[in-house]
Amino acid sequence: MDSGRGFGRGGGRGGGRGGGDRGGRGGGRGGFSCIQKRGAAAGGRGTRGGRGDRGRGRGGGRGGRGGKAGVKGGSKVIIEPHRHPGVFVARGKEDLLVTKNLVSGESVYGEKRISVEGPDGTKTEYRVWNPFRSKLAAGILGGVDHIYIAPGKKVLYLGAASGTTVSHVADIVGPEGVVYAVEFSHRSGRDLINVAKKRTNVIPIIEDARHPQKYRMLMNMVDVIFADVAQPDQARIIALNAHHFLKNNGNIVISIKANCIDSTVEAATVFAREVKKLQEERIKPLEQLTLEPYERDHALVIGRYIRAQEDK
Amino acid sequence: MVNYVIFETAYGYALFECLQSEEIGSKLANVQKAVQDLAKFGKTVKLKSFVPFKNAAHALENANDVSEGVLNNHLKNFLDMNLPKPGKKKSPILGVVDKNLASSIKAELGYDCETSEIVLEIIRGIRLHSDKLLNQVKEGELVKAQLGLGHSYSRAKVKFNVNRADNMIIQAISLLDQLDKDINTFAMRVREWYSWHFPELVKIVNDNHMYSILAKFIRNKNDLTEEHLEDLTEITEDESKAKQIIDAARVSMGTDISELDMINIEHFADRVINLADYRKNLHGYLLFKMNNVAPNLSALIGEVVGARLISHAGSLANLSKYPASTVQILGAEKALFRALKTRGNTPKYGLLYHSSFIGRAGVKNKGRISRFLANKCTIASRIDCFTDKPTSKFGEALKDQVEERLKFYETGAAVTKNADVMKKVIKELEESDAKMEVDQVQPTPSVKRKASDEDAPPKKHKKSKLPVDNDDKPKTKDKVEKTEETVVEGTTSKPKKKKKDKKKDSKKKEKS
Repeated sequence: MDSGRGFGRGGGRGGGRGGGDRGGRGGGRGGFSCIQKRGAAAGGRGTRGGRGDRGRGRGGGRGGRGGKAGVKGGSKVIIEPHRHPGVFVARGKEDLLVTKNLVSGESVYGEKRISVEGPDGTKTEYRVWNPFRSKLAAGILGGVDHIYIAPGKKVLYLGAASGTTVSHVADIVGPEGVVYAVEFSHRSGRDLINVAKKRTNVIPIIEDARHPQKYRMLMNMVDVIFADVAQPDQARIIALNAHHFLKNNGNIVISIKANCIDSTVEAATVFAREVKKLQEERIKPLEQLTLEPYERDHALVIGRYIRAQEDK
Repeated sequence: MVNYVIFETAYGYALFECLQSEEIGSKLANVQKAVQDLAKFGKTVKLKSFVPFKNAAHALENANDVSEGVLNNHLKNFLDMNLPKPGKKKSPILGVVDKNLASSIKAELGYDCETSEIVLEIIRGIRLHSDKLLNQVKEGELVKAQLGLGHSYSRAKVKFNVNRADNMIIQAISLLDQLDKDINTFAMRVREWYSWHFPELVKIVNDNHMYSILAKFIRNKNDLTEEHLEDLTEITEDESKAKQIIDAARVSMGTDISELDMINIEHFADRVINLADYRKNLHGYLLFKMNNVAPNLSALIGEVVGARLISHAGSLANLSKYPASTVQILGAEKALFRALKTRGNTPKYGLLYHSSFIGRAGVKNKGRISRFLANKCTIASRIDCFTDKPTSKFGEALKDQVEERLKFYETGAAVTKNADVMKKVIKELEESDAKMEVDQVQPTPSVKRKASDEDAPPKKHKKSKLPVDNDDKPKTKDKVEKTEETVVEGTTSKPKKKKKDKKKDSKKKEKS
């Protein structure tokens, strides 16, 4: 019971917890480890033997709790690549969506990190991607066919907010890719700039996405536009940006919040209308899925931008 | 027929010449096809010239100008040097993405500019193949430049926040609300705690703040004697209450309390008293701020409700952009959306409910007066946002209008027309301006002027830093002449018109 409490608390009990983690892992050492704080892990090493029992006992009790807390519990975690390139799944007590941390050793918004030792002894760190906080993650867990965001791609991210999802997108595209993160609010822009400071593949743009010509100097052509702007005229905003910066046959991933567009009609009607609007702007819808159970009345729409008209 | 295209990058400006624009330029589909293929596209556009920015600061300066559609000297020289002069036989047509920039180029340099779909298509092509087409720029350099410029541009945006003064108000009103809540809970705790010792005091003293002061002063109720009557009267400002307290202390059924416990209660009571004092200070600060930033709005509905409105809208500028119907139900979003969904009745008022006017109106007229008040609030916030000279005259006049309207609902007395009221205020203002001018000629400046100068530094800085400070004098002089004119002619339509112009002016200033 005592150890369980220490576990739930923050970093203050790091030393003790680290020890417990090691103990739990002692049984099946598969070369994978799971830590939350590096310092904590180092401190725990010395006491590993003595705490083995405790760790195991706690592990049993913890099973029922489930959720995020179960992950860092020191049970072995295996990282497997997800169907989408650049995304991974951590298989432990519970399966979790993770991305490879571009800046290892640091969390962006207090998310858990999982460190894994490869066969050649190199350590790779992954960050847990919470579908309740990120609509893209919710879409992936919802089983979307293609996200089109992949290593090496250039992404225009509209509505970057504080940069939580942006950081994961940056992880996916990797050092070869670029994320142009557009956000209008100054307050969240501050946090976004701080995220971008650490990740050199993120270019922060504090500007209104309604006026793409204002930030045209900062842009290249992109492969994908991801939009989470939640504005009544979001279809227009996205189309404007596509006209300026999206490659021909590039892809568009949009999260639609029905309430932000029209709260008086059914969500399904709103989605249908939005898709219609996109079609008028030469965006061919490919896929649509709801973000239940992570968000209510949200949909993820994926489309392709077909600019060149067909020959008659 | 576009034959040149300007392409702005984070690295520098590039001018492209469109070679075959006449054949392909006429048909959008052809351009689109050509753009796909580098070999083909490379033949249609040729890099005419490229000028990199000198350094990061220079790049930022240019990025800001380009983003606002301003033609700065650097770009001007670049275009001047590389484009054939306009007005010759084959005068160049320059393709530009941004309409604003196009019109400033046209105005300053005289080149014909085009911003059509075809230009966008060509720019798309150049952007797609920029690595190959801009052979002076090494691969990857462009992204590096974008990264650097993106950071500096965004930092500058965050740093230069036009809503500085508004943000202070928003924080202050939020803190005020928080403090109110906290002080209340803390005071309740003091009452609970001290009531173990002196339960009767709660009944006698209702006010939280006074209770805390009393708890701190009385400490041990057994020490309370008639000698303390004077001090107690001073605290309670009521002799009968002070007597009651002394009597109650004598017969109190509270438990005795140890010195250590008493010290702790005293400490906590001290905290509560300090917090209450702090709240009072903060309230004063908020009033001061509101009278600077939004004098008319404050005069109309009071500083606190005005601050709530600003806080809800996000800034004074945002509030002034709202229609009156939105202002009316600001703060009642939940009720509004519920009503919209169920097709029920939409709410009559949101934050405006806290203004005293609505409470004074009859049940039937609450909605009407709320609508009327919202109209006036919108006018006041717009004047506050876009005026150059801070004054609360308009707000006072608007308030009188609301009063009149209230009376109208009660007794049916006729109300003054809005246009007349505004005319009167404008005339008054101009008269006082003229007086000020006279005062300024004398060596001692008028008190009023001085006060307004000191009171309004944030406002003045924000709106009229560049243009007005320089030509303040001539403008006021101009105004005096005009007032004289109006007096002579006896027309009243003129000032009204002028006010509109002024509004437009300040709007423009704000944009630039």
